[in-house]
Amino acid sequence: MLLELDNVSAGYGGGPDIVDELSLEVEEGRTYCMIGPNGAGKSTVLKLIGGILAPRSGSIGFHGHEVGGLRPDQLLQRGICLVPQDPSLFTKMSVRKNLMMGAYLESDRSVARDRLDEIFSMFPILADKERQPAGTLSGGQQQILLLARALMIRPAFMMIDEPSLGLAPQAADQVFEIIAELKSLGITLLLVEQSVERGLAVSDWAFVLDLGQKRFEGPSDQILADPRIRELYMGKAPTVE
Amino acid sequence: MNIPQTLILGLVLGGVYALMASGVTLLFGVMRIVNLAHGVFMLLAAYGAFFLFTEWGFDPFLSLIVTMPSMFIFGMVIHRFLFPRLEGSDRYSEMTVLLTFGLALVLEGLLGFFFTGIFRSTSPAYATESILLGDLFIPKGQLYGAVASVVLLLALGALLGYTKIGHAIQATSQNRTAAQTVGVNVSRVSTFAFGVGMALAGAAGSLMSYLFTFFPGQHWQWIAILLSLIVLGGMGSIRGAIVGALLLAVLAGFVSNAFGATWSPMTFYLALFVILLIRPEGLFGEKEAV
Repeated sequence: MLLELDNVSAGYGGGPDIVDELSLEVEEGRTYCMIGPNGAGKSTVLKLIGGILAPRSGSIGFHGHEVGGLRPDQLLQRGICLVPQDPSLFTKMSVRKNLMMGAYLESDRSVARDRLDEIFSMFPILADKERQPAGTLSGGQQQILLLARALMIRPAFMMIDEPSLGLAPQAADQVFEIIAELKSLGITLLLVEQSVERGLAVSDWAFVLDLGQKRFEGPSDQILADPRIRELYMGKAPTVE
Repeated sequence: MNIPQTLILGLVLGGVYALMASGVTLLFGVMRIVNLAHGVFMLLAAYGAFFLFTEWGFDPFLSLIVTMPSMFIFGMVIHRFLFPRLEGSDRYSEMTVLLTFGLALVLEGLLGFFFTGIFRSTSPAYATESILLGDLFIPKGQLYGAVASVVLLLALGALLGYTKIGHAIQATSQNRTAAQTVGVNVSRVSTFAFGVGMALAGAAGSLMSYLFTFFPGQHWQWIAILLSLIVLGGMGSIRGAIVGALLLAVLAGFVSNAFGATWSPMTFYLALFVILLIRPEGLFGEKEAV
């Protein structure tokens, strides 16, 4: 098992638990999608695994070792990478510098430069704009830069929060093509995606969250076809056949 | 009014102000700390330089090798012990105002206890000498202070622009969460940046020891001036602090010439009000998202 959450609870400040005794398992090499209504705690789960938020109780295991409460830099060193939902580029830095910041933990600068060349050949649009401040890119290009920056550290497990949020349909298509590419690279992925159908289409397995608890889980295609879930979480009435 | 002379005096003094303000704006930019104790930290270093000068005859410039590292370490210790308790607060910046206000009061009291309220100043020979350029003169002390400030600000620029820790400081300053997600230990970087800010206060204190007379309660006047400089430049912008310092120092020189020296400090306070009314984000700052 790559990742294992066991009865984990967490919340912000002195507030109530947003994640409530959650347990879930993630196997290596697969792609997962987490769906649920607004306020279900999906982004909080990612922050919890990514070290932005510490668990109040329960344990988080990665490759069999406890990682709950570790800092993001310590988790990155173990291969856990979070691409957050909030605008998280260094907007005043150039595209190139943003990418090099992605390899901040890589002590060998020549390795970082080699990876930068690889990234530029994977994403030519970034190579074309390498000197441009990241804040001047379009929304879709910024999302591509975020994903590319995360790849600079070669993560084993990547969590992506709302990758298509606020993007035009064409840009969102491009982002999902990249996610499919990440999948083919063998990176274990955990997505939170507002476009549920899209998220389920790209993933192998899905977790359905509500009020910080896991309500269902199963193969993504089955979840997508389940009329109860379509009604409850996708706002669509079950089709009568 | 001798315009070239006023410009020269304003620019050399502005260079020193820029050094003083850069530490305040660095801390705000990286950690959203509004450091009201920066003035008293400068005074602490000025008293250190005064002590080294009177006891061992250390030139104020030589005292930089003592004041900068000692203030760097002192700053890191203070940050490590006092600020983590505020982290996680929704009103972090406001809390730092209160914390540093209290810190300034405590340090002012200690300085008053050990050094009394007597006006102090070091008196190296160059402090009262000038370079003559035809009808114009440049006070040597202010010129040397400005040159030292430029060198230190260039060193700060090199630290931020060309080193790994400097990139981490810039990243933390632009987006704290994003910096965390790329592996920056923002807590350690913040402590280091606080140390750098205090080292700059240390350098400013050494220069201040011969450029101005000082006494423990004077730091309130200094912090008001420094706040006006960084608000004009844009809170958090080092480039803005430098431009703000040069602009206001020159303006204060002209006001002093036109209306008398007592009106010179008023330039900074009035500028603070006017900037906040007209362009609260300053020259190089960014508008707050609503």
